[in-house]
Amino acid sequence: MKKRIPLFIVFLVGMLMIIQFFIPHRLSVTFYTGFLNWFTAMVLFALIIGIGTLLNRHFKKIKRKDDDWGFSIVTITGFFGMLLIGIFGGIGEGTLFMKLFEFVLTPLQATMFALLAFFIASAAFRAFRARTFEASLLLIAALIVMLGRVPIGDKLTFGFASTLTEWIFRIPNMAAKRGIQMGIALGMIATSLKIIFGIERSWLGSDD
Amino acid sequence: MELLSNILNPWNLLAAFLTFAIFSFLYKDNPFYKFAEHLFVGVSLGYSTCIIIFNAFIPKVVNPIFTDFSHNWHLVIAVLLGMMYFFRFSSKYRWLIRFPMAIQIGFTAGISVTLRMDARLFKQLKFTVMPLDNIYTIIVIVGVISVLIYFLFTFKRKGILNPLAKLGTIFLMVGFGATFGNTVMARISLLIGRISFLLKDWLHILE
Amino acid sequence: MGLSLKPSKLTSLPENERMSSLPLYRIRGVLIIFYLFILIIPVFGKQFNFKAFDTPNDSGNSISIYLTVTDNFSTGRYVIYRIDEDNNEFEVVNFELSDSKILEFSFIDSNVKDGVGYRYQLYYTKKNLSSYFILSETSFIYSSPQWYHKKKTPVLIGILIYVLVLFLSILLAKRGGIKYIRKLPGLDAIEDAVGRATEMGKPVLYLTGLERISNIATIASLDILARVSKKVAEYETPLLIPCFDPIVLIIAREIVRESYSFTGKPDIYNEDNIYYITGNPFGYVAAVDGIMMREKPAANFYLGAFYSDSLILAETGAATGAIQIAGTDSPIQLPFFIAACDYTLLGEELYAASAYLSRKKELLGTLKTLDIMKILIMIFILLGSILITFEIDITGFLIR
Repeated sequence: MKKRIPLFIVFLVGMLMIIQFFIPHRLSVTFYTGFLNWFTAMVLFALIIGIGTLLNRHFKKIKRKDDDWGFSIVTITGFFGMLLIGIFGGIGEGTLFMKLFEFVLTPLQATMFALLAFFIASAAFRAFRARTFEASLLLIAALIVMLGRVPIGDKLTFGFASTLTEWIFRIPNMAAKRGIQMGIALGMIATSLKIIFGIERSWLGSDD
Repeated sequence: MELLSNILNPWNLLAAFLTFAIFSFLYKDNPFYKFAEHLFVGVSLGYSTCIIIFNAFIPKVVNPIFTDFSHNWHLVIAVLLGMMYFFRFSSKYRWLIRFPMAIQIGFTAGISVTLRMDARLFKQLKFTVMPLDNIYTIIVIVGVISVLIYFLFTFKRKGILNPLAKLGTIFLMVGFGATFGNTVMARISLLIGRISFLLKDWLHILE
Repeated sequence: MGLSLKPSKLTSLPENERMSSLPLYRIRGVLIIFYLFILIIPVFGKQFNFKAFDTPNDSGNSISIYLTVTDNFSTGRYVIYRIDEDNNEFEVVNFELSDSKILEFSFIDSNVKDGVGYRYQLYYTKKNLSSYFILSETSFIYSSPQWYHKKKTPVLIGILIYVLVLFLSILLAKRGGIKYIRKLPGLDAIEDAVGRATEMGKPVLYLTGLERISNIATIASLDILARVSKKVAEYETPLLIPCFDPIVLIIAREIVRESYSFTGKPDIYNEDNIYYITGNPFGYVAAVDGIMMREKPAANFYLGAFYSDSLILAETGAATGAIQIAGTDSPIQLPFFIAACDYTLLGEELYAASAYLSRKKELLGTLKTLDIMKILIMIFILLGSILITFEIDITGFLIR
């Protein structure tokens, strides 16, 4: 029973979602949006548990005086600070909450994103060292595209790089993308159906 | 004067400090990065919790229940289902958390079946079928088919399948290379964006 | 062909403006012009077509209006009026044409109620004339919602074929019909990676991607976690799972706990190793980078949906010298995983991994399903392309 009921729920909900796709009637639309609101209601409780696991980890670190335990205070203060400022000060335009979003979260996010430029250089270097035929193909195509995308690279190759870049995008890249996408779609459908029909039950823990 | 006040504006100073702290990770893991990272986790979690409470839970769950109960009574079930997640703290009733889990997973699986068939598979198929009247479309179609052959799981790669699967690898790698090269150029422009914050918006060295 | 005007919202003009745009509208004279016009119709021939019908395949409260005009009607002003059963009038649309050839218009009047009858009248005036006359009038039209979307039938047939193939291939697999499975080195390497981490006394890091439970790739990753965590439990190595989504966290804890009891080691399961971080992608990546630098896991698994942040993770992991096994269905991220990881599952392979690892007959059957579906697709592409070369299009059903 501990497994049968959840498996039946998955089957029922999965089938209902498939069926509602084919029904344009507004009852079906209401059903769908109703479900989305259900998840809005459910996720808050999961979030409370989630936050609990994070805080628990940091409180334990502080208690045990682990390495870097001082930084755990930063996380805890940051979380409760932002939460209380939001709850008591509001989250609209011009509030302290939004100011913190703009001057703390936004630069942090943007800088993490900007790190990509450095990491991509080291990734290119790693790809360059690879000795296999496949890796060399990847690298050659990447080099051509990089040359073709900047004016100076294109000038150096007398316009050849941009022509070739365009060809690569239109022909081999297009073919690869479509092949992969169709395979992925098949995989997604298979995984979904396996779960709906209870063929794959590992999400319940052991599948025996 | 205006320039100086812009540089010394505490908010700008904070943003610039955090920008440097994150960048310092490139050198090595250090206390500045640790500070920024821990702050990032705490603040972003506090931020999203407030957003979930005020922009989702209150308007979509609390308000409908209290203003129009007869139409929204079913949301109470959802709240109870959400609370079932707390059964994870009970050893006897722990298995009950599988109920909300099952609803969530069933929903995702059900939606994926129709959506992927319709929006991904059918659409890609439609675009792939092209008249074989020039060499380019013939190459694309050969490419798609060889990539699909590359992904076969239960057929031995012998006979014609072997060279076709190899050809599929070539298409895949050239395609990945193209994505790689394209993204490199895009990422570098992101870095330029961050440097321009430091030099332009904060220090006003560049105009 | 032609132009299609689809105003997103149809609103009525204010009463005073309506009167000025239709000065003769309420005057009896309009009737005289109307009768005159009936006499003239044969001269014009069929140069306009005006019809209204319940919008098909919709959720109700909508009537579609369709209009084509040619030649003599290609210049001038058109007004379409809606009149309900109680004779309330409403201007649906009002537009002017100047010297157009053949024109097609379609409007959707979404301002109607289901089950109420509406007539639509088409008024027309030549340029520089102030008098409107009725060109056409429909009978009563009733809007209603539909219970079946006819144009989605191909999707339904597609799913039925898929389900049929799925059950046939499972049947085939149960009878021992699957003799060969292509090796997926990334999955075969899991055991070695976990073994190495154990030897080094370092933890194993498993990420389910930067997506929520609402993404099927995340669920595929959790299925793989069920298999991987059994291996990790056998080796008695710590398994770190920092989570991006709180529901994924709850499910991951259940899965890993079950795996440890399944392998008979419930006492060494440490649930503190599976915890939530934040739902902010870059905050999450910053924290995972920190974990990699400080706890130095010897084996990193990145399985699920990843975005641009994947590169930061994979590069940091590579710098710490961990064995890295990745798999994602995000094609744009694949080249970066290929560059930075030891093994990468490409696209579809992510969805095949759980079956591959389970080695259970019925799950291996689903690999056959994937192959049969791919073969059907290849046949369709070849056949469709050959036919379309001779201008026979069999792909029309694929897009609504």
